[in-house]
Amino acid sequence: MMQHYPVLAVMLLFLAAFLVEIFGSKIAAIRNLITFAASTTALVLIYALIPAVMLRGEIISYWMGNWAPVSGYAIGIGYEIDALSLFFALLVVTTFWLSGIYSFGYMKKDHHLGHYYTLYLMLSGSVLGLVMTGDIFNMFVMVEIMTFASVALTAFRNESEGALEAGFKYLVIGSVGSSFTLAGIALLYGECHTLNMAQLSAILSGGLTKNSMMAMGLIIAGFGVKSYIVPFHTPAADAYAVAPTSVSMIFSGMVNKAGVYGMIRMVYIVFRAMDQSSVQMLLAVFGAVTMFVGVTMALTQHEFKRLLAFHSISQIGYVITAISLGSALGLTGGLFHALNHTLFKGLLFLAAGAVLYATGTTNLDKLGGLSKRMPHTTICFLVGAAAISGLPPFNGFASKWIVYQAVYTNAVESGNFLYVIITVTALIVSVMTLASFVKVTQAVFFGQLREEHKEVKEVPAIMLVPMYIMAALCICGGVFYNVVNTYLLAPASAAALNVTNYIDKMMGEGYADAAGVVNILAKPVEFSFWNPIMWLVLFGVVMAAAVLVIVFGENSRGKVLVPTENADPKYATFFSGEEEMFSQVGGSDLFWGFKKNWQGYYKVMQGLHSGIVTDYTTMTVVATAIIVLCCFVFMR
Amino acid sequence: MILVNYVASIILIVLGLYTVCTKKNLIKIVLGLGIIDYGVNMLIVSFGFNEGGTAPIYQMSDLLNGVAPHFFVDPVPQALTLTSIVIGACVDAMALSLVIMIHRKYKSVNADDVRRLRG
Repeated sequence: MMQHYPVLAVMLLFLAAFLVEIFGSKIAAIRNLITFAASTTALVLIYALIPAVMLRGEIISYWMGNWAPVSGYAIGIGYEIDALSLFFALLVVTTFWLSGIYSFGYMKKDHHLGHYYTLYLMLSGSVLGLVMTGDIFNMFVMVEIMTFASVALTAFRNESEGALEAGFKYLVIGSVGSSFTLAGIALLYGECHTLNMAQLSAILSGGLTKNSMMAMGLIIAGFGVKSYIVPFHTPAADAYAVAPTSVSMIFSGMVNKAGVYGMIRMVYIVFRAMDQSSVQMLLAVFGAVTMFVGVTMALTQHEFKRLLAFHSISQIGYVITAISLGSALGLTGGLFHALNHTLFKGLLFLAAGAVLYATGTTNLDKLGGLSKRMPHTTICFLVGAAAISGLPPFNGFASKWIVYQAVYTNAVESGNFLYVIITVTALIVSVMTLASFVKVTQAVFFGQLREEHKEVKEVPAIMLVPMYIMAALCICGGVFYNVVNTYLLAPASAAALNVTNYIDKMMGEGYADAAGVVNILAKPVEFSFWNPIMWLVLFGVVMAAAVLVIVFGENSRGKVLVPTENADPKYATFFSGEEEMFSQVGGSDLFWGFKKNWQGYYKVMQGLHSGIVTDYTTMTVVATAIIVLCCFVFMR
Repeated sequence: MILVNYVASIILIVLGLYTVCTKKNLIKIVLGLGIIDYGVNMLIVSFGFNEGGTAPIYQMSDLLNGVAPHFFVDPVPQALTLTSIVIGACVDAMALSLVIMIHRKYKSVNADDVRRLRG
């Protein structure tokens, strides 16, 4: 019975997509009921697989129409759910379930909601299918459905500024990337005459030919486009910013995770290339560049959601860097960070959506002081900001710590100076992330409340519930990291390295041995890890000290120290030569010194993010050429 | 000669990429996407093609008795190409509808004018 669950979940979502269009385009209650029922059922079906796959280590295989392999050749489309697939499937179902609940409140004021929920369910179904399929062409089809649904949802509020433009850019870059993937799949089929990933892996185990190296380069580039690593990231920044916020959350929570999943599945299972230092270095450099460019671009943004989009890109850089190491520790860190990124970035997007819903703007220069009017949103946002900046005891700290540890271990073991640079980059990026969120918190939630926002109300409860769920998960993930590791991360990272098991379960026992497949040897994971209880105690001590200072401190706190009788204008607060009426530092002003010092770098970056679609495609094509060349020249 | 197909498909893909990278007209960019697609489709079909092969329609008894020629065209790539063509048609339709709406809003289909989101 259990082997039917994954397929049922995917088909149910697609079925519900059409049911919503047929029955729910007029009446909100029917629409919401169908959406909620379908997404909840999918959630339950996927969560029901945890005991078998995660705890008992089973692999669920399912052949569509019961077309099992004939004499060692896969002829049907197979679904195969190992712990790695299930890990990402759990991310996907959790994200779209929470996003669906949030949409019921958030999208209420929009029109044509029947179309919205149709696209939303198709996007959910396609990503869920993508992470669970065992057939490479089926994966491509799911990628395409995902791209279309994403483009349509990006341009959904098509009367708003930039939505159509972002949709078009997304479509162009996305379908160029899909074409690369398809070309790679064609090359693989030409060589191996099969589309099943388990069988491909068995056939390719004899060593990669030049043909399959080219295929690998193209497929890495294709999934790189889907996971928005730099320089494929440009449409992501636009799309996340203009899409409805519930969709932005889906994008950063599961659409780019689908790209990450595809990349892990390809390089670890199908091509098994992660024991080659050239592939490791290629992905590590792309990951490091991604995290650095993402965060530096985020520092200069004035638009709340666009800023979050660049942070999303930056955090994916951490994931890619961690999985590029080819070690069990790196995989654990990468998967943990992917999980945490889904949680805290989803939370931050939802908070941004709440601000947009309440005030009607996401421009950082036009917001301020909302903490008094929207306390729940502020608390949730602060949890998310602390988590993404890697403050203990939140989950972001735990995963970033493992990533640093994994990269540094690699640096020590390989003696490669590049990994030292990457470790330092990762640390600096984390600091810049914190700086950037200080700016956002200050500009949106603290400081002076603006006149026009005096009457702002907190958002409805149906939007707060998903935010609180995610905030709770952010804290739990950090405090109970051991539980997360035992039940989710360890099985998933072991599954990514256990190729023989994957092949045997799909193609029949002994198939991998007959093909001569050997697992990549990876050292067992060693945590020299932190104790969250200690951090909680430290937090308590610091807070107690702060309270003591406040209670027993001098009463001059908060008073102006300059003598007021002979008030000298040189002590007054000025901005740009004008005396400031109220002491609100706008979002764009906080790091102007940093921006000035780095103006050469920013000039280049602004040139690259020109907004012209042909520039973006040129970047995509050039980067693909570089990846393919690297695969050709340096791989053995 | 199957080599001609490979060369032609690579030429088509490169032409499409050239169009997408250099042409500023949004409609031409959409056409470029189409050309890349056709190139890839041709590549897939060529992989399954056997010159002189027949259609792969047999009964099991034909194969076992050796009545049927063992030389036929691989049907899987054709199925893949069919799927890919359908997807390609969807890309074109959707992209063109977006271009129409962009033209209504921006009064231009030049990529240099459609750049409100940048930096």
